[in-house]
Amino acid sequence: MGRASPLLRTSAAALLACAALWAYFVWQAPIDSMQGPIQKILYVHVPCVLGAYLGFALTASSGALYLWRRDERWDRLAAACAEVGVFFCTLVLLTGPIWAKGTWGRWWTWDLRLTLTLLLYLVFISYLLLRSFTEGSERAARFAAVYAIAGLMVIPLNYFAIDLAGGRTVHPENLGRSSLGAGMGAPFALGMLTATLAFAYLLVRRLEVSALRTALDQALANAARSEA
Amino acid sequence: MSYALAAYGVVIAGVLAYAAWLASTRRRLERELAARPVPNRG
Repeated sequence: MGRASPLLRTSAAALLACAALWAYFVWQAPIDSMQGPIQKILYVHVPCVLGAYLGFALTASSGALYLWRRDERWDRLAAACAEVGVFFCTLVLLTGPIWAKGTWGRWWTWDLRLTLTLLLYLVFISYLLLRSFTEGSERAARFAAVYAIAGLMVIPLNYFAIDLAGGRTVHPENLGRSSLGAGMGAPFALGMLTATLAFAYLLVRRLEVSALRTALDQALANAARSEA
Repeated sequence: MSYALAAYGVVIAGVLAYAAWLASTRRRLERELAARPVPNRG
């Protein structure tokens, strides 16, 4: 008891190896001529956005699969994905203002991209709160699934916010093929891979906790039945 | 450079703290589950 599963050990080893490589490439990446060293925040901020998008997209798809199959495991997966997604979104909302303070001179501005990121965060924080208040009921699981699918609509709005604002935004544009200079592609790609592996590792850990909670609830229910 | 270091510090500390919290929650739940008496199947 207490030993990590082979899947967890493998994902931890892959994550550590990738994170070490990523750190090396970030350190070696050229200093941006316009922004200076602060531009290197890009290699950690955007990968955190990927983690958040991944978490929320998987929450909605697991919710849809729960509605279709009515299997509790999909509901538990949806809850775990939402929590990990909210964690990554928290990191987005922490690293973004650090970059903003150094570049714009202020921590926050009510720019469309920033506002929609905050909205996305609040939508899935509400999802987690909703679940915590109504734990265990099938009706709550169904409602949570529909809510997550509806909440997913904020992601395309968030991603295309710069285009929707018609250029009237201070947030940098989405990265294109030629956005990054020489030597900047590798740390960026490794950052995305590291974030994906970190997401997988944390999700596996979160699912283990979820399975143990279910087993404990089951044990408590069995004990109550045998006492009755 | 200090802003970049702060951002990386926040992310690394955040991931480590969340992973540690999940690991400690898992250990606590395992202890609670092990402490439950096995139901009498007679």
